[in-house]
Formats: sequence, C-alpha cells, structure tokens
Amino acid sequence: MEAGSLLLQLLVNGLINGSHYALLGIGFGFIFAPTKITHFAYGPVYAIGAYATWAAATMLALPLALAIPLGIVVCALAGVASYLFLYRAFVERGSTPLVILIASLGLFIVLENLIGIVFGTDTKVVPDAPSNVILLGPIVFTSLQAAQVVCLGLVSAALYAFLAFTRYGKAVMAMTDNLEMARIVGIDTARVSLVAFAIGSAISAVPAILILLKEGATPHMGFTAVFMGFVAMIIGGIGSLRGAVLGGLALGIIENAGMWKIPTEWQSVIAFVALFLVLVFKPTGLFGTKARR
Amino acid sequence: MSQSFGLNEANGKSNDSPTHLAAAGLSAGYGDEPVVRGIDLAIRKGEVLLVLGHNGAGKTTLMRALFGLLRPTQGKVTYLGADITGRTPAQNVRDGIAFVPQGHGIFPTLRVQTNLELGAFVADKHLTGERLATVYELFPILKERADQIGGTLSGGQQQMLAIGMALMHAPQVLLLDEPSIGLAPNLVDRVMQSVRIINQRFGTTIVMVEQSVKYGLPIADRVAVLKTGRKIYDGDPAPLHDRVELMKLY
Ligand SMILES: Nc1ncnc2c1ncn2[C@@H]1O[C@H](COP(=O)(O)OP(=O)(O)O)[C@@H](O)[C@H]1O
Ligand SMILES: [Mg+2]
Repeated sequence: MEAGSLLLQLLVNGLINGSHYALLGIGFGFIFAPTKITHFAYGPVYAIGAYATWAAATMLALPLALAIPLGIVVCALAGVASYLFLYRAFVERGSTPLVILIASLGLFIVLENLIGIVFGTDTKVVPDAPSNVILLGPIVFTSLQAAQVVCLGLVSAALYAFLAFTRYGKAVMAMTDNLEMARIVGIDTARVSLVAFAIGSAISAVPAILILLKEGATPHMGFTAVFMGFVAMIIGGIGSLRGAVLGGLALGIIENAGMWKIPTEWQSVIAFVALFLVLVFKPTGLFGTKARR
Repeated sequence: MSQSFGLNEANGKSNDSPTHLAAAGLSAGYGDEPVVRGIDLAIRKGEVLLVLGHNGAGKTTLMRALFGLLRPTQGKVTYLGADITGRTPAQNVRDGIAFVPQGHGIFPTLRVQTNLELGAFVADKHLTGERLATVYELFPILKERADQIGGTLSGGQQQMLAIGMALMHAPQVLLLDEPSIGLAPNLVDRVMQSVRIINQRFGTTIVMVEQSVKYGLPIADRVAVLKTGRKIYDGDPAPLHDRVELMKLY
C-alpha cells in the first residue's frame, strides 16, 4: 500500500476508534461535569450494558433490535442504582472528592467481579452479529465501524438538544458551572444527578454494545473504557460536550497516526503522553473554552 | 412598578410585625464542634436585620444553616411559624426564601440573562419575562450586558447580578451574605441603596451580613451581633452608632 492511502486509512481508523473514545468521554463527562463524582465504576456499568445485551440476544434469543434497547436500559438502571445506593449517601454527608473516588473504585472491583462470577470470564460473543466489509476506494472498514461514527453523531446531536432545550438540560448546565449556586437557585441537585447518571450510563451502553458485536464482551472490558473516557474528557475539556467529542476523536487520530511510525504496542502509551501534555500545557483541556457547549 | 414581587408595597414595620424567619437554639458547624451555638433569632416580616461580627464569627455558617445548605446539629428553623429544619434549599426557595452567598454568587461561564433565568428556575415560567424586566429596571447595567458572560463582569456588576438572580423568583425573605465584600466605596453605596429599595418597594424581609458597620447600619432596622458563634447583641441599631458601644461588643 502506498504511503498516501496508508495515511488515509490510518486517519479513518483514527476517526473510528476516536468515535468510540468520544462516546465514552461524553458518557463519563455527562456524569462527572454536573455531579463532580469521579464515577470509575462507569467501567463495569458499561460492561453491564454489553452483558445485558448479550444475555438478551443469546439466552433469551431476542432479536438485536430488542436486545440492544434492553441493554441500554439495563445499563442506565445500573448507573442510577450506583448513584442511589452508593454515591448519594456520600454526597449528602458532604464527603470529600477523595472519599467518593475510593468508594467508586470499591464499586468498580465489586461489579467487575460480580460480572465474572455470574457470566464467567470467557469472552461472550453474539454469533450472528451483522458486519459487512465496506470498500471505499483504497479505504476499508466494516459496517459496525461505520455505525460507531454514526452513533457518535446521533448521540451528540440528541445531547445537544437536551442541554439546549429541556429544563433538566439547563439544570445540568447550571450544576456543571457552579454546583453550589445550582442548589441556591433551587435546583433539586439529587434528582438531576440521577438523570445525569441515567443518561451518561445509557450513552456508555452504545459503545459497549458495539464492542460486544465487534469483539465480544469480557468482565474486564470496563477498565479500558473508563480510562479512555476519562482521558477523552480531560483532553477535550471538562464540562464541554463539544470538547469530549473532539477530545475523543483527537485521541483516536493521534493513536492511529502514531502507528504509522510507532509499533502497535505503544498505542496506550500515546494516550498517556497526550494526556500528560494536555495536563501540563493546557489543564482546562484542548477545547475547554470557559463557555459551555 | 409592577406588583410582581412578594408582599404588598407598604412596608409596615413595627415591633409587632409577625415573625417571618426564626432560629431557636440553633447550632451548626462542619465537624464535631459546632461553629454557631444556641442562636435564638426572630426576623420580623418586612424588616432589615443586619448581622455583624468579626471574620470567623460564624455569620456565613448561620446564614447557610437558615437557608438549608447546612444541616443544623441542634435547634430549629421556622418559617412563618412552620418548622423547616433540615429542609433542602430547593424546598426553601419554592417557599420564598432566597440566598445571595458570600463572594461571586453567579454562574461565571453562562450569559448574564441565562444567569437571571436560572435564578427563576423554580418560578412559574410565564412570570419570568416580567421579573426580568423588574430586575433590569433595578440594575440597568445588567440589561446592557445581557449577552455578556457572567464571569467577565466587574465585581460590582457581578454582585448586582447575584442579587438580581435572587430576586428572579420574587422571594419574601432575602438572605444576603456580605454583599459589599471587595467592592469600592461608591459601589457599596449603590448596593446598599438597592437593598433598601428592594425592602421598601417589595416589602421583602432582609437578613444582611456585613463587615462594614458604616454602610450597613444606616439601612438596618435591627442589628444582631455574633461573636465566636454566639449572639451577643440583638436590638436597635441606634446605640451602635456610638463607637464606644460598638467597641465594647466586639
Ligand atoms: N467549609 C468549612 N469547613 C470547615 N470549617 C469551616 C468551613 N467554613 C467555615 N469554617 C469555620 O467556621 C468558622 C466560622 O466561619 P464563617 O461562618 O465563615 O464566619 P464569618 O462568615 O463570620 O466570617 C471559622 O472558624 C471557619 O474557619
Ligand atoms: Mg462569612
């Protein structure tokens, strides 16, 4: 393959992987920005989305058109439950961010092991997952990879509309800007947090299900997910939807562009380096203008 | 001026005005040791109560406990006679209590008008326009800056925005925590004037914490002085104009 089309292919791969990271970043950021909760159990909750879809599609033999929405709903409920039964008590007690972070790591370990105990540690695949290879000139990708990019577009458009036009969206923006002032103007921050956990988790179910269909699900799949979501959010700029999208895409493209000259094993090192550079030179994130959205 | 705010326009202040907001044996703090202890305070309908005290005396803590941002460890808060101890700010705001916190009580990354609209978050949507007009009439500069990002306003303008936000849901009680902090003297005058106007025109009951005795006393109907978490004076402002009396209290 000549250098030009190789570069183009790497860019497309970057866009595809970047869409995955962007979806993870949007979901993580949608929870973190308004609630300020470092919800590391986002990882296993994401995995629950994949496992619920797998169980519905294989054990219950439901068609994917039903199994996927079911997986999304179960994932949203798992997110809501983690707020209701864990974080809420800490928030009400006025616990420090460090305490909440440790609680979230505890939940991470518990959930990840529960998944392993219930489903086993082998890789779960959906046998008849639809995936066709698409050739576009010198570029190759699969229909599932295309779906990843399309889903990013749909999810960000829906979220934009939610933030701009709904009452809960305005409350989320207010909490993101100044949590204490949000309480002072009378926003029921506990209820809005619940909504943020539901939506953020539902968003994470989308990339989780796409990974299930592409590669299958494992109990540990959540670790990379929460890490990449976190990095995408920080690179893009906390509290900015556009930032999380661009941060995720940038991460994917940097990673794949790096593969042009750097061996594949270094892929996650590149993510670390990108994160490090952003934290040093632009701690508010690449696209984190102070203005929202 | 429209009738959109709170009570009647007349400001019938007298010692037999009913108690609006009250604390009884109120203690609150952040750790094991309470910061304010055993505070009894009755704020009468339509009055301006000035809360004085040294830095660290517990004034902010008292305000936060009255508003529900801080759960009291002991004692009660009542509103129009009803026990509201332990209620959330969201419930209290709906009932007509507003709080302007110490410092920049705004949403710094959002537009001025968005800030004001968020101030009316719990209010009826169809009244927002009317209230916006009232706030803009009181603080014309905010209308000029309606599209500007809140955090780019000057300190004085941010304070006006903070007060404007509190007025957006037509409160009956307004809690102000050091509204003059960090402002130049002419701006302090301007803020005190607007507090006076809010009280007189809308009949809003006001509890105002101030460090500056000079600016606070002239608009106060009554004064409470806190010292290391306890109330050491509660009464007429007149004796406090005498510097000697004030020195004794501090
Ligand atoms: N968030 C907090 N956590 C712990 N201690 C606090 C906190 N806020 C205030 N304090 C302490 O409570 C005391 C009273 O503070 P505050 O109510 O802010 O006083 P004032 O408003 O009169 O200056 C001070 O000793 C202060 O150090
Ligand atoms: Mg204070």
